[in-house]
Amino acid sequence: MRGPARWVGWVALLAVFFWSAWATEVSATRMVEGLPFMLDFVRRMFPPDLSVIGNALRGAVQTLQIAVVGTGVAAVLALPIAFAAARNAAPPWLFYGARLLLNAFRAIDTLVYALFFVAAVGLGPFPGVLAVIVYTATVLAKLYSEAIEAIDPGPVEAVTAAGATPLQVLRWGVLPQLMPQFLSFTLYRFETNIRAAAILGFVGAGGIGFYIQTYLRGFEYPAASAVLLVLVVLVMLVDFASSRLRARLV
Amino acid sequence: MIRVRGLQKEYSGGTRVLDDVNLEIGAGEFVALIGPSGAGKSSLLRCLNGMIVPTAGEVVVDGEAVTGARGDRLRRIRARVGFVFQQFNLLRRLSVLENVLVGRLARTVHWRSLLPCFPAADLTRARAALARMGLGGLEDRRVDTLSGGQQQRVAIARALVQEPRIILADEPMSSLDPALSHTVMELLRRINREDGITVITSLHVLELARAYGRRIVGLRDGRVVHDGPPESLTASAADRIFGPGGAPGGGGGGS
Repeated sequence: MRGPARWVGWVALLAVFFWSAWATEVSATRMVEGLPFMLDFVRRMFPPDLSVIGNALRGAVQTLQIAVVGTGVAAVLALPIAFAAARNAAPPWLFYGARLLLNAFRAIDTLVYALFFVAAVGLGPFPGVLAVIVYTATVLAKLYSEAIEAIDPGPVEAVTAAGATPLQVLRWGVLPQLMPQFLSFTLYRFETNIRAAAILGFVGAGGIGFYIQTYLRGFEYPAASAVLLVLVVLVMLVDFASSRLRARLV
Repeated sequence: MIRVRGLQKEYSGGTRVLDDVNLEIGAGEFVALIGPSGAGKSSLLRCLNGMIVPTAGEVVVDGEAVTGARGDRLRRIRARVGFVFQQFNLLRRLSVLENVLVGRLARTVHWRSLLPCFPAADLTRARAALARMGLGGLEDRRVDTLSGGQQQRVAIARALVQEPRIILADEPMSSLDPALSHTVMELLRRINREDGITVITSLHVLELARAYGRRIVGLRDGRVVHDGPPESLTASAADRIFGPGGAPGGGGGGS
């Protein structure tokens, strides 16, 4: 883009920004007026009430379990979908169909799916697991399919030229190239799913979020802060372990 | 051993890479396929094992028609034809031994090759092939930790354990430095002599073609423009193949 066109672009960008700020009622005064209340809120959270640590741990373990089962099932479901959504692996009609479906499902976040599944199968961790599965399967399928499209055709050709069957080509020419990336993507999604699963309890879909919401609603701020502390430790531990594992896969 | 009749390959858009190729290659021959880049050498080699389906013409390999063969029949033909690639085409993350075992896929019980749980005989054969390539002791190394020359020898071992009647090599040394080219060509010559395996290799260095080929086939614009023993590759013959003054790799001498 040259001179005048570029200026028009910047002005338009600024216009959109200020229009959005105005529409969302962004206000420095209200922000400043709110500061004492924020500080008061934080002050009332301390010291954390460690007597609820049992509940917090129970919730944390359930959050972890929701993420484990949800990510595991999603990874398996994503495999065939990914091949259908890879330009170099599927016929065009299947490819475009799969891509369209994936983009549509991916537009909706885990929490929204959780609302839907709570209504369908009732309260508890199970609707949470279902929500994680649906969203994660579509995200992983997209990531997997991009890895499939970036595959080196050379080894595939070599295995084919050795007289291998299509199944053998998949097992020996394709999967060895993809497995490290697939595992890495899956671990990364597992990390993200811990965070996603932590708020599923807000809509009654199990996990640590249930306690956060219960204590906040009951104005039991010290108890809420104890649960948040446990959540922070859980997320940090999982991130650390998972990133260590992923580094070894490269 | 190999019979090619009226072979044509045209890509959509009308690019004709092979134009009425006729060729007869006997058992145990060592053929060097030369020609400028784009002359159709790779396409011709890939028609011989059915990786490319020609537009017209006929290819018969070891008594079986490659053209028109599909499924199991095509895989049986490919199993008897080893292929060595310019870029090696190994699975970089797998071990040296696993890469060689790929050459056994067509000869092993299907489910065992998928597990994988190869029979002891396959493992022995793979180790023997590696030892023969001078790579004994490297079986468990990841292939991407090897040098280029070693990787190409792994690829030759992979072709060898197929127990092939024919080995096709597509510029097997052009990603290697000159000293290593001789090692690779020497290995192909030994396989040809000791095992009686027919070898057809495309080359872009005339010196190597003269030194190793016992028959030299020249391609230009998808046509066979030269066919004869190394002595027949005179300066004028090289000019006919590569165009005047176009011969690479110190070519054109020797007459």
